[in-house]
Amino acid sequence: MDRANRCIKMIKNTVIMIVVLAAVFGISVALQNTFSIEEHITTVFVFAVFIISILTDGYIYGIISTVISVLGINFAFTFPYFAFNFTIPENALSAIVMVIISLITSALTIQIKRWETLKAEGDKEKMRANLLRAVSHDIRTPLTTIYGSSSAILENYGTLTDEQKRNLIDGIKQDSEWLVRIVENLLSVTKLDGGNIKLIKTPTMLDELIDSVFIKFKKRYPSQEVILDLPDGNVFILIDAILMEQVLVNILENAVQHAKGMTELKLKVFVISGKAIFEISDNGCGIEKDKLSRLFTGQIIHDESETDNQKRNAGIGLSVCASIIKAHGSRIYAENLKTGGALFCFELDTEEMDNEQ
Amino acid sequence: MNNKYKILLVEDEKNIQTFVSALLEANGYKVLIANDCASGKIMYSSHIPDLVILDLGLPDRDGSVLLAYIRQNDLTPIIVLSARSDENEKVKMLDAGANDYVTKPFGTAELLARVRACLRNRRQSSSKTGALTGIFTAKDLEIRYESRRVFIRGEEIKLTQTEYNILTYLSENADKVMTYSAIISAVWRETPNEGNIKRLQVNMANMRKKFGTKPGDITFIINELGVGYRLVADN
Repeated sequence: MDRANRCIKMIKNTVIMIVVLAAVFGISVALQNTFSIEEHITTVFVFAVFIISILTDGYIYGIISTVISVLGINFAFTFPYFAFNFTIPENALSAIVMVIISLITSALTIQIKRWETLKAEGDKEKMRANLLRAVSHDIRTPLTTIYGSSSAILENYGTLTDEQKRNLIDGIKQDSEWLVRIVENLLSVTKLDGGNIKLIKTPTMLDELIDSVFIKFKKRYPSQEVILDLPDGNVFILIDAILMEQVLVNILENAVQHAKGMTELKLKVFVISGKAIFEISDNGCGIEKDKLSRLFTGQIIHDESETDNQKRNAGIGLSVCASIIKAHGSRIYAENLKTGGALFCFELDTEEMDNEQ
Repeated sequence: MNNKYKILLVEDEKNIQTFVSALLEANGYKVLIANDCASGKIMYSSHIPDLVILDLGLPDRDGSVLLAYIRQNDLTPIIVLSARSDENEKVKMLDAGANDYVTKPFGTAELLARVRACLRNRRQSSSKTGALTGIFTAKDLEIRYESRRVFIRGEEIKLTQTEYNILTYLSENADKVMTYSAIISAVWRETPNEGNIKRLQVNMANMRKKFGTKPGDITFIINELGVGYRLVADN
């Protein structure tokens, strides 16, 4: 895989070099023949070397093209024509200048590329930091309940009534369930961590994915009806099934927890030219404008009034969705519907079904 | 009178030991506890339990070693407990002979259901002899093996040859997760690849359509995403 990549890169770079040099050579011949301009040909070649150094990776192509240019100019465009002669000082000088220019340009472009990767890593680091902050903030509450309630039961076993004990234990159970969900999300993130994404993409049948999602979702929210609209026929999508299941459960769960006044929750999937488009919509209160842009960044840690239990899970779930979808080479969008409520949308590649039944 | 099922729990975490054994004992099972792989082996050989609940992360060796040891000679049902929630691990353990797989953290209801299913499965397989005969029922499903006919709520469903073969294979291994590769090698006698896994999924989808099940329905065939299928014989 790595070797093939390197090979492709090499071919790409070589092609760029040859094309640019050929173009410049053509321009120079034209300049010389039609306009009889000779003194600027060196400048044109210097420019070509500059372009090649920018477009290719590393020093080597810039230097090769410098050598070719120097030889080419010397051979074809300077006196004596069609012969090599480096004894004339102008020729030697222009050769040296071109070598220096190509070295400096290559060094600069390498610097810029390195800076760009650093910046990308910085962004990822920032997202991870946001997530960590959100999580450590959010797990404190359930842990307090679990720790406090269990201690209360142990230390006051004789004095608490059965009903009080039952309530405390109920609280422990609920908050542990909530912790389980947080951990599921965190596990998904660690799977995506560290640059080398460990996605296990397999062709997955759409209705099996949805089936799995619905069973999980109904277990948590038995009373929440979800309207389902699937395409006919067998649709295979190339995904990491467990992670994608997490995405859909998170989005549905997000609607239940945050779309106030929702009476209708809908999941629609349709296929357009080889892409499966997923749309999850509700008719609840919609998303506040200022939150819309930060929705997937993990930055919405309960601000202001959001101290209600149900509200804790906000930022994490959606930012996990965004990372998973991104790792699948796509993007997730959210918008408010004109009719009220919010819409979440993303698309995934489908797989051709080979007709070997 | 001592006809309680004996369950061997191989787990090193004290707290998990406590709650799992409390849960099982409260439901009428006898629980034996081993702290590591080595004592698990000894306990297994000396007590011959009806079921083993096996944690994978044990202090001395990986739990899969004990799994392989038990499977050398015995078909005793084994439920694997693991903190690792990836499908590959699941498939590996199931193909190595585990009957079921529960990911930590798990709910008590979930564990009990699996235990019951495994013990039921054991009764069936111990009474099984050669060719399939009689009638198999699970929820709405009824398979009449001799006439090769399938009914849902009393209504006959026409299945293709392949669909019928898959369904009977699942019914023979009821209550057990059958991995894609297990089904493919049993039904098509092929080594699994992307193509025949898809073929299997298409067959399953067609069967679901014929049975009239919609996504999210909890029915007799449970789809274990990325792993395989399980036919639930909950009587």
